[in-house]
Amino acid sequence: MIGIEDCLSEAMTIPGALDAILVDHTSGMAVAAEGVSYPEGSAAGLSEAFRATLDGLALSTPDGTIRIEDVIVTTDRAYHLIKPMETMFDGPLLICLRLDPDRANLALALRRLQAISHRLIAS
Amino acid sequence: MATTTTLDSVLTGLAQDRATGSLRIGRAGTIFLTRGRVSYAECTGTPGVEELLTASGRISAGAVRKARQAATGESDPPSGGDRLVDAGVLTKGELEFCVLGATLDASYFLLGPALATSGARPGPKPRFKDGERHWLGTHWFFDVPGLFQECRRRKARLDRAWPSSELDTQPVIPVRRIPGRHVVLSALQWEVLLGADTTATPAELARRLGRPAYSTLLAVRELGAAGLLATGADPADQAAPPKPALPKRAERSGPRAELRPGPGSDPAQPYLPQVSADPTDVKLLIRLRDALEALQ
Repeated sequence: MIGIEDCLSEAMTIPGALDAILVDHTSGMAVAAEGVSYPEGSAAGLSEAFRATLDGLALSTPDGTIRIEDVIVTTDRAYHLIKPMETMFDGPLLICLRLDPDRANLALALRRLQAISHRLIAS
Repeated sequence: MATTTTLDSVLTGLAQDRATGSLRIGRAGTIFLTRGRVSYAECTGTPGVEELLTASGRISAGAVRKARQAATGESDPPSGGDRLVDAGVLTKGELEFCVLGATLDASYFLLGPALATSGARPGPKPRFKDGERHWLGTHWFFDVPGLFQECRRRKARLDRAWPSSELDTQPVIPVRRIPGRHVVLSALQWEVLLGADTTATPAELARRLGRPAYSTLLAVRELGAAGLLATGADPADQAAPPKPALPKRAERSGPRAELRPGPGSDPAQPYLPQVSADPTDVKLLIRLRDALEALQ
């Protein structure tokens, strides 16, 4: 069982990790960050990106409701992973990881992120 | 004004002294400090950790009370929060997030008045009790300037969703028919709509749903912006002084509206001319139409 700070330092041990940030999706607040130069801006941007993904996919899904497990975006410079974690009263809490594509293994990173989120929040 | 001790000056002072204890703000609530940093806050208007835990169904109200009594009975650790974690009620991460969320939620409403007005309405005098701790213990910290900063950011976030505080204290009344063919709702917006009984205000709904008051307020404003709630007036009208029902021609002779915003005007205002039912305007339009038709 780990706390918020440990969860980020563990995420940073994932091979290829460049930076990691934990974002409260409802308010768009940076809860904690490691290696992020401007956490407030990153948090706002990432929570907007997640919201847009949710809304956009909900509209394009036949039954109109979706549950995102991971958002994976590959850019020319990095892999971006966003994983929502349901919390018991508010949320979700987003754990966001940026990876170096030359060093990272996407499948491994996803599995590790999944394990970390289970140890942080038991649900 | 300089002599009144405002809440932010008191908190800043306590932070500089690296104080540990509780700061009671009248009946509104209490802020707990640990070595100059805010470790917990509770507000009568927002659900606390106890209520969030019971509302989530993880633990009964009686079990929370027992944990609380056990924690306050002893002077030494483990704290109440650590006991709950050890008992398997919630994980360490969940406890931290619970404390963090409840603290931010309460702070928004406790510190909000201090942020909004520059000492215009001095609240109740805060009372500091040295050494008093919350029964949950210390699980997360906010530094005082950071907490004020976050409250300001949250205020701006609310205003971005819907720039009027009209819906904040009114009963939530969903419209009977939606203005479009379909809507996309977040989980909390769904709960708010389902819980809205046309008498409950956002704060009452938050308590009933076991959701943070700020998040509920944000959901309500977003629903308002999407046209899903019955509102009294357009938010743009709220900021401006109330206008007479029918503008009188004599008050503003000449052109009725500026097509371009002037240098001092609000960029948020649309620069389209205002529409009115003033008969003078209607007559002018009819004359214009006749003139255009005559040209053909």
